[in-house]
Amino acid sequence: MAVMTPVPEAPAGSRTPAPEAPAGFSATRALAWARWLPVIAVAAYVTIPLLCSIAYAVLPGGTFSLDAYSVLGSDAKLTNAIVRTLLITAVTIVVLIAALVPAVVAVHLWAPRLRTVLEVLCTLPLVVPPIALAAGVVAMLRWGAQQGRGTTPNAISQFLQSPDLPLILVGTYVVLCLPFTFRSIDAGLRTIPLKAIVEGSQILGAGVWGTVWRVVLPNMRGSMLFSVFFATALCFGEFTVAATLNQQTVPVWLFTVSSTDFRASIAIAVLLNLITWALMLIATLSAAREARHRD
Amino acid sequence: MTQQSTAALTGQVSTAGTSAAGGAAAAPPSTRAPGRAPGGRRLASLGRALLSPAATALAPLGLILAAFFILPLVSMAILAFTVETSRTESHLGFGNFAGLSSSHGRALMNSVLVSGVGSLIAAIVGALTALCIAQIRSKRLDSITAVFSSVLANDGGAPLAFSFIVTLGNTGIVFTALGLDRLGFSLYTWQGLVAMYQAFLIPTMIMVTLPTFAGLRREWSEANTSLGGTGWTFWRRVGFPVAWPSLLGGWVLLFGSAYATHASAAVLMGAGGFQLIPLNIAAQLSSGTGRGGEASAMALGVSMIVIAIATLVLFSRLQRRSAKWLS
Repeated sequence: MAVMTPVPEAPAGSRTPAPEAPAGFSATRALAWARWLPVIAVAAYVTIPLLCSIAYAVLPGGTFSLDAYSVLGSDAKLTNAIVRTLLITAVTIVVLIAALVPAVVAVHLWAPRLRTVLEVLCTLPLVVPPIALAAGVVAMLRWGAQQGRGTTPNAISQFLQSPDLPLILVGTYVVLCLPFTFRSIDAGLRTIPLKAIVEGSQILGAGVWGTVWRVVLPNMRGSMLFSVFFATALCFGEFTVAATLNQQTVPVWLFTVSSTDFRASIAIAVLLNLITWALMLIATLSAAREARHRD
Repeated sequence: MTQQSTAALTGQVSTAGTSAAGGAAAAPPSTRAPGRAPGGRRLASLGRALLSPAATALAPLGLILAAFFILPLVSMAILAFTVETSRTESHLGFGNFAGLSSSHGRALMNSVLVSGVGSLIAAIVGALTALCIAQIRSKRLDSITAVFSSVLANDGGAPLAFSFIVTLGNTGIVFTALGLDRLGFSLYTWQGLVAMYQAFLIPTMIMVTLPTFAGLRREWSEANTSLGGTGWTFWRRVGFPVAWPSLLGGWVLLFGSAYATHASAAVLMGAGGFQLIPLNIAAQLSSGTGRGGEASAMALGVSMIVIAIATLVLFSRLQRRSAKWLS
């Protein structure tokens, strides 16, 4: 509100500074600085916990040491959890892109009126809290298991929960990614003249999906990057569904080990936190860069 | 969708169409292909739509949504609304919901307390910070804030809880430095949850309200000044009336977000038995294969979805009221 401190009763024509200008100047100056206070306070509030964890992880007893990270090599359970998490992440990304991109392209090309339906369907997972979705998944899997040994639902239920590659987590993570990635890919497709590109390359003899692969996707690199990095961040950090289904991913390992080796869990948590923030940062920046291209 | 465009083509090709329209053969011969019975035409175009490349491209996503989203929610709803009267008999009803307020009353109270207080503090702090950021009018700060607030708003996971345990836990670095134990503060109570939730609730509020404050036009306050108004009149007559739906909407959104948070609360509270709706759901899912516990977990899950939908609908309605002025 103090943006316009210039004295209101000054006549419109007189541009000469009023005599009390220096005093007013310093007052607005002080106010300008005061505006930074909440910003700095909030920034401190979100960074101090991270700094404290870094200090706790690498400065045990006041001296720098990376001993806490030796758990990376010595704990076979952690190695397994990391491999499992990476595998889940890779499959999730492939499934997400392979399912979402064709669907959005198809809707843009052939059924523009279906776009709203798809948008609503893809945004709905945002409405369901992860713990509620986890409860639903448990209900579904238990129903399958209750059908008895040897039945198809039971077999499917077992297959989805296989500890090596729990496809149930892959499917759930794809669903959890949809609200954010749909918006990004949809916006990316809207920036390019999709119909003209596809028609043009069809005249030249290329198929629709060849065109999408070779021309459309490279033209929406920002959206693709956002989707990949967002999915990675989500898969690395997701705790609720994995813990409810008793699948040992890295966040679940963190929770399990925190009761026996707290410093190791902090050390890995810091690492995970920094990686997730960096991934989200890259994702947001690549989406923002594309948005700027659009304008 | 493709019904109208394909309706014109009905009767020209498509084996699926002719077989589906077989039931409409009784139609008068004078009205031939174009005038088939509407049911037959619909089936014919449906058959063709299912074979189109669009349907093939949409199928994988549809399958994933059906298997990993719709089916789980349907099974949850079925369990939640099925009341078991004896070992073999059951009927549909609200019986599982009736007992919730007594068996999970403590959890509900804690959830509402944590979400209410947490979202109120975060809404005030976040709105104030967004206002300051908007008034600093630095393009660079605006874009940095946009990026970081959206990153932090999504951050309510396990690592957040660990970093707060190290910072504000019973032997935490800041906790001992400030002597917070003398104030009676403990991270492992509802106050701790409120403190921890601020780390993602405040960024969410900033993310939601910054566009509103940035959208308050300079000309409005200049007009206010040239008409002799003070800063106070501007906020009372212009700024606040335009911004308040967005602020209120932000608060509602924060409430919903805090109410639904599970991961960081679960890690912070561990097996401490703190009563909170999301924690109670998780506890009943993992402990009881017994039907009673599972059914009430499902009922709690359904109630969470209902609350989430209510807050999101309210949020977007309020947001639209502010957006009317800011576009």
